[in-house]
Amino acid sequence: MTAEQTVVVVGAGHVAAALVKAARRRGFAGPLVILGDEPTGPYQRPMLSKERLAGAGESGLWLLDPQWCAANDVTLRTGSPVERVDAATSSVLLADGGSIPADLVVLATGGRPRQLPGVEGDRIHTIRTLADSDRLRERLAPGRRIGVLGAGFLGTEVAAAAVGRGAEVVVFDVAPVILARGVGADIGTAVQALHAGKGVQFRLGQGIESVRATADGVTVTTAAGAETVDDLVVCIGIEPNTEVAVRSGLVVGNGVEVDAECRTSVPTVFAAGDVAAHDHPRYGRLRVEHVDVAQQQAAAIGKTIAGRPTTFADPHWFWTDQYDINIQGLGLGGIRPDDRMVARGDLSALDGTVFWLRGGLLVAAATVERGEDVSVARELIDLEIPVRAEQLADEGVELDELLDSEEVNA
Amino acid sequence: MSEWVHVAELKELTRRKKKQVIVDGRPVALFLIDGEVFALDDVCVHKERFLTKGTILDGQVICPGHQWKFDPRSGRPEDQPGCQATWPVQVSDSGAVLVGTVPATPRESSGLEDTPDVAAAGSERP
Repeated sequence: MTAEQTVVVVGAGHVAAALVKAARRRGFAGPLVILGDEPTGPYQRPMLSKERLAGAGESGLWLLDPQWCAANDVTLRTGSPVERVDAATSSVLLADGGSIPADLVVLATGGRPRQLPGVEGDRIHTIRTLADSDRLRERLAPGRRIGVLGAGFLGTEVAAAAVGRGAEVVVFDVAPVILARGVGADIGTAVQALHAGKGVQFRLGQGIESVRATADGVTVTTAAGAETVDDLVVCIGIEPNTEVAVRSGLVVGNGVEVDAECRTSVPTVFAAGDVAAHDHPRYGRLRVEHVDVAQQQAAAIGKTIAGRPTTFADPHWFWTDQYDINIQGLGLGGIRPDDRMVARGDLSALDGTVFWLRGGLLVAAATVERGEDVSVARELIDLEIPVRAEQLADEGVELDELLDSEEVNA
Repeated sequence: MSEWVHVAELKELTRRKKKQVIVDGRPVALFLIDGEVFALDDVCVHKERFLTKGTILDGQVICPGHQWKFDPRSGRPEDQPGCQATWPVQVSDSGAVLVGTVPATPRESSGLEDTPDVAAAGSERP
């Protein structure tokens, strides 16, 4: 691999920050350029619905230190939207007509929030950027009634932040239990009770019939009736920003299609993060919207461009923090309907873990407040150590010991 | 002036590879990794979870809270801000684990702590 190639990252988010750090750590010597269309450099996106929404502090927000960038030949160009990648001339063409040399390109254009068609105005919010979060925070105040549409990770984090700021909160979702799609109904039910105890109101199991925004409020109508809120936060997922990829002639399906090494259909162009539909060695093609996945993919690309071809093959991992409760999931995208589910601990008391088993091997785990179980699960999955459901369910069995048994057997 | 405190026996670490001890009122995590004993602040610089409730993977300490990976020698998390304080360790011929009462390298705030007075040290806040 030529040491002096120039790498351009399109998109200044978690992928960009993780990639430049990994590339430098692995000894990549060429110039690194990050192009972002927002006015700032990369920031901690998970904070936008947690710490940053709760309070305006910048502590820990920024992902790249300008001094580190200067010392490591990393150039950050903000406010620089990209038109397309021209692999034939090894360049990236900017929206303003300019062009910059790029031997290798990493597309990390992320996604944008799904909107409700025809519903807009000052009282309607989505959260993707720092500006979105800052605008919403001003509305989360005592005396205000905030509606949250969508009871997934983002919606429930917003609900927690909103009640924390003294606002009244009502959460709408067609699903009967919050978070159930993400972490299963058992943990979802327990976390829902936590929210209810903090005063969050739920309107679940009812489809939305209409949403009407006026100057005075937003009226959400379900089969159960109409509710009016001061502001509505729409948390119904994202769409991948594939425009640059399409204009660059890359193969695009549900996201930019990449192989296990995160290479697109053009060998000098990689893609990672929310925009990438990755051919995962374990699960097949998946586009996953978790920050750790973006960072792991970026780290793999960083190693590859530094001369050590690397695939991203770990089970997908994510976390969410709500109030003072920590929830994590590992490999949940790979669960099949006939996998055996085993609970450990007391999920209803927000202290336990759910495991999914297939043919005597662990395939996935989700936990409330027991991140250590997820650490062990990672090793059990990775090393394909056989485990029995009774062992996982038995609190008398230390999970660490299941790892030891592998050494004995080996 | 650093003094040495006898906090554990090496044999207490051989099975689980980790143990929380208290040094001068502060929770310190002992880890036995590839035959060497390391001592770090047990309270994670990110969200104040205990590292001793995590695991050791490929020679790194994995925090249970958010799976940050720490180098046990430097206390630095991979690709994340802040740093765990590291503490001097001695293991005697008889297998006594001694920890110094003054950190070898200081704790650096991640800026992400939930506890404001912890976060305030070394990070800007409006």
